[in-house]
Amino acid sequence: MSNLNKSPFVAGLGLVWRRQSVLWWIFAVNFVLACMGAGTFARQVSPVLDHSLQGQALVHSFNPIVLTALLMEARGAPAAGMASACLVLVFFIFMLFVEGGLLEVYRLDRRLTKGEFFEASGRFLWRFVRLLIMLLIVLIPVGIVFSLTTRASHILDERSPSPTPGVWVRLTGLLVVLFLMQAVRLWFDMAQVRAVAEDERAMRRALGRAFKITFGNFGSLYWMYLRISIVAWLLMAVLLWIWVRLVRPEWIGVSFLLTQLVLLSWLGTRLWQRASETIWYQRRLPGVVPKLEAAHAPPPPPALEPEAPDFNPPVAGTSDLGEAA
Amino acid sequence: MLHYMVKTIKKLKAEGRGWMGCAFCHRFVLLGVILAGGVAVGAGGQAGSEAGVQTQAHASQTLSTRVVAYQIEARLDPVKKTVDATETLTYHNLTGRPLDAFPFHLYLNAFQPTATFMREVRLYGTRGTDPESGWDAKHYGAIEVKSLEVVGQGDFTKHMQFIQPDDHNPDDHTVFQVKLAKPVAPGADIVFKIAFHDQLPEVLERTGYKRNFFMVAQWFPKVGVWWHDAWNCHQFHASTEFFADFGTFDVKATVPENYIVGSTGDLVSAVPNRDHTKTVTWHAEDIHDFAWTASPDYKLIEDSWTGSAGTVHIHLLLSPGHERSIRRYLDVIKGTLDRFDKWYGPYPYDRITLVDPPQGAGDAGGMEYPTLITCGTSWWMPEGVRGVELVTEHEFGHQYWYGMVATNEFEEAWMDEGINSYTEAKVLESLYGKGTSALSLWGMAADDADALRLEYLALPDTDPMSRLGWQFMNIGAYGGITYGKTATVLLTLEGIIGEGTMRRAMHTYFMRYRFTHPTGTDFIKTIEEVSGQKLDWYFQQALYGTNVLDYEVLGIRSDRLDWFQKDAPKPKKGVTLYRDTVLVHRKGDFIMPVDVRIKFDNGEQALERWEGRDRWVRFSYDKKAKVVSAEVDPQQTVRLDKDFFNNSKTEEADRRATCKLSTYWLFAVQFMAQLLAWLA
Repeated sequence: MSNLNKSPFVAGLGLVWRRQSVLWWIFAVNFVLACMGAGTFARQVSPVLDHSLQGQALVHSFNPIVLTALLMEARGAPAAGMASACLVLVFFIFMLFVEGGLLEVYRLDRRLTKGEFFEASGRFLWRFVRLLIMLLIVLIPVGIVFSLTTRASHILDERSPSPTPGVWVRLTGLLVVLFLMQAVRLWFDMAQVRAVAEDERAMRRALGRAFKITFGNFGSLYWMYLRISIVAWLLMAVLLWIWVRLVRPEWIGVSFLLTQLVLLSWLGTRLWQRASETIWYQRRLPGVVPKLEAAHAPPPPPALEPEAPDFNPPVAGTSDLGEAA
Repeated sequence: MLHYMVKTIKKLKAEGRGWMGCAFCHRFVLLGVILAGGVAVGAGGQAGSEAGVQTQAHASQTLSTRVVAYQIEARLDPVKKTVDATETLTYHNLTGRPLDAFPFHLYLNAFQPTATFMREVRLYGTRGTDPESGWDAKHYGAIEVKSLEVVGQGDFTKHMQFIQPDDHNPDDHTVFQVKLAKPVAPGADIVFKIAFHDQLPEVLERTGYKRNFFMVAQWFPKVGVWWHDAWNCHQFHASTEFFADFGTFDVKATVPENYIVGSTGDLVSAVPNRDHTKTVTWHAEDIHDFAWTASPDYKLIEDSWTGSAGTVHIHLLLSPGHERSIRRYLDVIKGTLDRFDKWYGPYPYDRITLVDPPQGAGDAGGMEYPTLITCGTSWWMPEGVRGVELVTEHEFGHQYWYGMVATNEFEEAWMDEGINSYTEAKVLESLYGKGTSALSLWGMAADDADALRLEYLALPDTDPMSRLGWQFMNIGAYGGITYGKTATVLLTLEGIIGEGTMRRAMHTYFMRYRFTHPTGTDFIKTIEEVSGQKLDWYFQQALYGTNVLDYEVLGIRSDRLDWFQKDAPKPKKGVTLYRDTVLVHRKGDFIMPVDVRIKFDNGEQALERWEGRDRWVRFSYDKKAKVVSAEVDPQQTVRLDKDFFNNSKTEEADRRATCKLSTYWLFAVQFMAQLLAWLA
């Protein structure tokens, strides 16, 4: 396996590339759902715009005032907003559902049949729902940190005639919160990876062990996660810059392609994170992969439900890190 | 002396010239007084810390009919946030009749929970951000009159009586009246000596404190205006502003010695005291209000601009963290001074002070006082967002439309805010370009005139422009009609009489009514006179009515004339004869003559004029061409039209705008979905 010589950061990218059908499928669902929302919007504005010369003011520039006036005239615009919000929620549920199948694809690094993919997706759905609930609970303290830094910046704003101290506190607070959210996300990502790799049913236990794995190797894991995030932000910034600076307002097709590229890069880098995490985990716990591979081998269906104790004893009484080492 | 002053003003008016004619005199006096002032300031040793180290520019000539002369000595307590002061008011009775009662404004008393102002704030909001959410003791403000003596008649402190001419709310103490023992004869003077104590609120409604920043405005007992044979002295309302007589102000304020101060008028002296304070003295003439500001954190930026009336000294009192906005403030104020000077008339004062409120004191920003305006910025504001420029231009514009043309802001708010919004749109467009005068950032562009129109579109029919300021449906209606609709009405008027004529009319209006209290009728008469047109039909609808203007092209149709022939040839461009019809509908009740432009597929155009008296009109043509499009008001001069989208109709659909917006919508939805999915 040539990937063995590469870092999880690079190998993850290769994995996303090899299994790019997953990326395209998720992107397609994201696109189709959003198209439904955009279609609703288009149906509201089309009767106002399509036969009006005023519409050209929106073609040749982007005037937020004309746009606001349009939304005031297109009475159904709020309904289009509601419909789109619902579709955003649908995509979220979809992602929650396919997360298990996605991680299974990356874990096995092979093309899954539809049945396999959705079987894996369904198998892990409820577990990931439980993880989501735990994630929301864990995010509460992060929210509190955010609220405290905001309050601190407000206090500074109150006390200082200069906006600078408040701005710095707000900025620092945002960076801290961003870091915490990434750390928490990384932890829960690893819990999901572990749950799939070991077919872990007890999510609290998976979370506890993922905590040890994540924070026992935080430097390397976070650096990997952060580098991919930076790539995502840079790609997005460059593409948006091109869109704003180089694309003329009336080049609608180019705008469309660029915005889709932005979204594809955004989604792709997120999957890159998931793939890299999976590879990182497999390298740290090499014994797990063949067993699971065997367990998921097609001929004996019962093997699809591996017995958890087979995987758990080795880590009992010692840290995952220790076992990995 | 008074007689001479009145004669001078009348002479200036009659000659149709103003301060411009006295430019030489202006500069001469300026030079002499600067030298004298320099000595006074030098003695005080505070020259570097004061905004406004200049002196009177026009001591030898009066510009206004001076009804009042205020002498105030005040002391600021920066810890208690209070001002203790004594005021001597000399009132010249020019009413032509004896006066035995005098009403006074006590504006700061509005900031009490049972005051009319707060009632209205609770009911329909106010301009600022506080205190809609609830009462907070820090917003408490008050003027307590400690004593009131009428010289020659004795102590009237106990005879003061709070009155509520607008809403009869007994808990409102923003106006008091004193009845004299002996009336003041016509032409005579009366002198009031008042001791008062101000409790400043934490900044709201453009007055108060924030930390050690003080914006001391509406802070002294101010006498009402005898106008149209009655006292005009309204309570302080959530949506209204001010009205006062012209006169002179001599104000002394004692503040901590490290404070940098700025004010209406000219600095006379700044003298240090032994108790680590200093006493700053200002003098101002031909103005009708006086405000001052103090803070140890100000940085004074000085500049100047020279116009037709001489040099105007620009003082920018900058708050920390706003250094990036210095150039923007100075550029826009000089550009605005230039446009007003060229278009409307000379700026006769020798200074303008710009106050940049500090962090957290935004509610002090965006307000006008004579020769002093409060602006606003933020540390992050990008260049393309013209917030700094818009506020600065707007508040400076009030030096003309409120400061000099001193209309009654309580009763005819459109005459100051609305006319000023119109000139704001014109000046900003001239300075920053058509289509980009409000926003030019990241591919987005917007025009100030469009922004004002949008304000109007939100609530186009709730109130007439002529409504009394405090009787609008709510603060949104007040803003939308007073600012947005008035500006849009005047921009539409420009389309009727022409831009050049409109500018001449505005110039005439300013020159004729500066330093007076004109009414809406005076404004309309001036416009009609200069334009030579009877515009009653327009103003009756636009100013006094609530009718909405909305024209639409209901349909366009090209029907073959040989439609009934069974063996008619296939249609051929340029050969087949059509009956082209265009149906235009007046959807709103506002009647306005409009142009309709019809385009045909052979390149021909037809321009029709429709008076709009009927509800609809059909234009019909027999042509060897099909109609391609029809558009009402193709130049978009009728800016009052509520809906520009239905003003035109094309035969063929052009889906580019829909596609473009849908693309953006698609992107937004996809992005939001992916963002949320991060949690999954």
